[in-house]
Amino acid sequence: MLKLAEKVVTWARTKSPWIIHFNTGACNACDIEIVAALTPRYDVERFGVIIKGTPRHADVLVCSGPLTKQQNDRLVRIYEQMPSPKFVVAVGTCACSGGVFHDCYGVLGGINAAIPVSAYIPGCPASPEAIIDGVVKLLASLDPK
Amino acid sequence: MNEQETVQKLTAKFPFLTETTRVARIRRIFCGVPKESFREVLDFVVQELGFSILCTITGVDDGDTIGAIYHLAVQSGGMFNLKVNVPKDNPVFKSVTDIFPSAEMYEREIIDLLGAKVEGLKAGRRYPLHETWPAGEYPLRKDWTYTKGKV
Repeated sequence: MLKLAEKVVTWARTKSPWIIHFNTGACNACDIEIVAALTPRYDVERFGVIIKGTPRHADVLVCSGPLTKQQNDRLVRIYEQMPSPKFVVAVGTCACSGGVFHDCYGVLGGINAAIPVSAYIPGCPASPEAIIDGVVKLLASLDPK
Repeated sequence: MNEQETVQKLTAKFPFLTETTRVARIRRIFCGVPKESFREVLDFVVQELGFSILCTITGVDDGDTIGAIYHLAVQSGGMFNLKVNVPKDNPVFKSVTDIFPSAEMYEREIIDLLGAKVEGLKAGRRYPLHETWPAGEYPLRKDWTYTKGKV
């Protein structure tokens, strides 16, 4: 009985992941591409993805921007507000490794310095096709079979 | 805007500014002001000459002085750039937040990044550096270097 419930829940999560978008201080190019991926032209909403306004409703944290010292605590707080199981997607080179800012004062690197990341989507900015590719790969890895 | 007329009105009131004022090109006037008469000149430029918009304040590290350039503008697009320099071992500026409340952000930036002090600014948190930044490190000074893990 419990196994059936688990199967239904996993099916719901893989077929319809809800995302929360967060920007740790990026230049906004990746944010524009993320929003473009959600609009009808590239349409990641056909995978059941909805962008929510609060991390407490979300399965996947889509994050852009390098991890700065100021954002460290705030990003961890947002991550902890998401209910388990949760996944993190780092969009753009800055979120993957710090990008051009990785040796600057005040920058701790990519967001994997603060939270565990499930998928990395490089690019400056990451194009919407790359974002869709990354999201599909993440969903395929969640699917138990 | 008639740049020459503006410069003439300014040097008529403050003759000691004649050598340090210049018209760079159309709609741009640059003026260097000694720090003792800074507030007087600023009041004159803002009220009498009509440059009542503060665009921003640029901080400069000039070697042994720290400078602040106040970019004032008029509605029709002309800009008056007022530069004041203070010695680096005691860099104190006077706040202009009584006439320009938005200057607080720019003054906090030169406090944090260049190590200047601004008199007349009420106490506040660090901006833009983070709260745990150590005192005495001024990233935008020309002699400041960074190695990973220093701060």
